[in-house]
Formats: sequence, C-alpha cells, structure tokens
Amino acid sequence: MRNLIIFLRRYFNFFLFLLLEVICIVLVFQNNSFQRTAYINSANNISGKLYDKYNNVQYYFHLKATNDSLVAENTRLHNAIATSFDSITTNNGVKTDTIRKYSDDSTHKVISTEIRKYNYAAAKVVNNSLNKPMNYITIHRGSKQGIRPNMGVISSSGVVGVVRSVSDNYAVILSLLSKSNSVSISARLQNGKEMGSVHWDGDDPEYATLRDIPKSAVMHKGDTVVTSGFSALFPENIPIGYIVGYLQGDKSSTSRPIKLKLATNFYNLQYVYVIENLLKDEQQSLEDSTYKLIK
Amino acid sequence: MSILLRNIIRFVLLLLIQVFVLNEILLHQLVSPYIYMLFILALPFNLPRPALLLLGLLMGLSLDMFMNTMGMHAAACVFIAYLRPFIINVLSPQGGFETTQKTPSMTSMGVSQFLIYAAILVFLHHAVYFTLEVFGFANPLYLLLKIILSSAASLFLIILYEMLFFSRK
Repeated sequence: MRNLIIFLRRYFNFFLFLLLEVICIVLVFQNNSFQRTAYINSANNISGKLYDKYNNVQYYFHLKATNDSLVAENTRLHNAIATSFDSITTNNGVKTDTIRKYSDDSTHKVISTEIRKYNYAAAKVVNNSLNKPMNYITIHRGSKQGIRPNMGVISSSGVVGVVRSVSDNYAVILSLLSKSNSVSISARLQNGKEMGSVHWDGDDPEYATLRDIPKSAVMHKGDTVVTSGFSALFPENIPIGYIVGYLQGDKSSTSRPIKLKLATNFYNLQYVYVIENLLKDEQQSLEDSTYKLIK
Repeated sequence: MSILLRNIIRFVLLLLIQVFVLNEILLHQLVSPYIYMLFILALPFNLPRPALLLLGLLMGLSLDMFMNTMGMHAAACVFIAYLRPFIINVLSPQGGFETTQKTPSMTSMGVSQFLIYAAILVFLHHAVYFTLEVFGFANPLYLLLKIILSSAASLFLIILYEMLFFSRK
C-alpha cells in the first residue's frame, strides 16, 4: 500500500496528464456523436453575448452594402406597385384592400378599381447551401408568420426558389439551384416575350439554363429573362437572369438551350421576400375544375 | 506589472485575437494559424507542473467554447503543457536559464533556443489538434501537409507577437 502511494506520488504529474487528456477525449467523443451539443455551445452564455456584440460591429461595417441594396429594392418596389394589383371589371361588393385610379382631369372619375393580388413578407436567411445537387435555404419565418408550402421566394435582385416545408418559426426553401426536372421556373424573354423554362444543371451556382425558347427568337447577349407570371408562384417581370450565350443543343429540335447568368447572387443571400398570392387558390381550383370537365 | 497580472492579460488578449481575428481569416484550406497556445509557451519557468496542466486545460476549453470543438483544443493544450518542461530541460544550458527573467521569451532564452522551443511545441500542438479534427477520414498526406503548413504560419505569428511585445531588454 505504501509502495503504491509512493508510486502514485512519484508519477503524479503523469497521472494528472492522463486524467485531463482522457477528460478532453471524452468531451471530443461526446461532441462528435451528438452534433447538436455543438449548437448548444454556440448559445453558451459568455460566447453568445460576445458574438452578439461582435456581430453588431460587423453589421455596422456592412451598412453601406445593405443600404445600397435597400435603395435598389425601393426603386424596384415603386415601379412594381401597379403590377402587384389586378384589375377587375365588375364592382361586386366592397373590397378592403384595393387601389383606385382616378383620371387626372377636373372630372376626377374613377378609372379602375384593383384588388391586391400579391403580398410580400421579408425573411432573414439563416442557412444556405450551394454545393449540393439539391440546395436548400432555411429562413427565419414559418407558419406562425403566415408562410405556407409552395410560395414563391425572391431576393432584392431576382428569383430564389419555392417554399418546400414549414415549421412554426422556420421554413425551408427549395432553391432554384436544384438539379432536378421537377424544379423549373416558367420564364419569358423580357424583349421578345417568348416563353421557356429555367433549369439548373448542377455545377455553377452562378449560371442556369433556359430551355424551350424557339430558334426564331431574337435575342442579344445581356438581355433580361423574367418570370412569366403563369405559374401563380411569382408575379410577372421578376428578373431570373441575363443571357450569356447559346449552349450546344439538339440540332433537330426547334428550340435551343441558352446559358443564363442568374440575377440572384446565392453566395451572399441575407434577406429574401416570400410572396403570397392571394388569388392562387381561386386560379388553381378554376384550372382544376376545367381539366375535370375536359376529361 | 506582476507576473500574474501579465499572464491574465495575455490569456484574454490571445483568446480575443484567436477568436475574433485569426478565426475570421480564411487563408487557405491547408493553412489555419493558431496563436493562443503562446499563453502556455510563455508561462513562468518555475510554475509547478500540475498548475501548468490545469492552465493548459483552461485555455483549451475556453477556446473550445468559442469554436464548438469541445475538447479538441483542450486535448492539444494539455499535451503541450505536459511536454513543455521536458523540452525546456533539453534546451536549457548547464545551470538552467538565467532567472532575472522568469518567463520564456526571445530575450531570456536566446533567439535560436526560443525558436526551437516554440517550433517543437507548436508542431506538437497542431499534430494533436488536426489529428483529432480530421478523426475518421484517413488521408495522411493531407493531414501532414496541413500540420506542417499551419505550424509554419502559427510560428510566424508567434515570432511577430514576440517582436511586438518583447523587443525591450
């Protein structure tokens, strides 16, 4: 017994070293097998507060860029106000959310009454991926804030994606950067009005492909491709991308694929707008019932 | 300034530099410099070894708390804290280092001695840390390259730090 104590005292440092090292390794293993504890650590009191302070400072340095994008966004919204409203020809009943246009001359007659069709909700991006075949974006807004699946999502510069699933306070967006045939966005040339669809081919988050545009369409490098407004997800005339050039396509086909530079910069996505189409259900049910009639 | 106060300030300063400056800089996939273990390198010569180990653990865990790598930095720090006295013994001249200055630095140990001392410990720290970090994905060449390049970058930063704060004799 005495020998044991002497032994322990002699190698005390080594045993302390082993003990501490074992504690560390246990911590590492615990952390590796339960990745969620990593998130809890982040919210740790001291580091959380410090990060918060630090974030405030960082936010200040980004004010200029934020400001620029807000100004651009404002200009775009000013231009878009008229197109967010849908004109109706009959006046049946009182609308609570309408815009009335009056004539400019002295008679001041009501020219048209328009009801609100689209509602925009800003949301902060909390997670974003670029390098996977199917990319998802998480935003800090969910069913409690009125987000539902299959709503369109845009950024201040262009189309971002479609809401896929929703929890109480978060929503996951299937990004435009998804290599799948199911994800395509109905598009239109801004100048020529020819219709097509935009797909992402899975390599570069800056470029996508525009398909189904007839060879006869007149287009130039740098032309804007916008949403068509047919899909009930997006209003029309929201930029999707800009034409870069032709891609090699099937020679016998009447259409040719076009390479697009995407309008949205997915690398630094900070805020997005979720679009609620107030008339979507009406459009959908009418279309569905018509298909049934034909069948 | 007392040695205790000086070490406390160095602890906080190095932690802040590491978390808010170095961790924000993405030099390259293979080069991620660390400077915080300079705290362990610069603890006084005559500190008892258990205290050395516990301070190493404290420093490592503090950084782990910020970086969400629970235990990895702590393991590396405890490791070099344990090996530090051996390295100093090997490098010290016959009668031990002069005791006018009680902490290891370029002036107390001599430039070349200090560089060897720092290089060995930094390399060991990085070896332990990166091995734990890439645990499971066996790619030895990548690991070795990462350890060597990061050690070089860290050593460069440590020399800069030493020159900034210990230029006066």
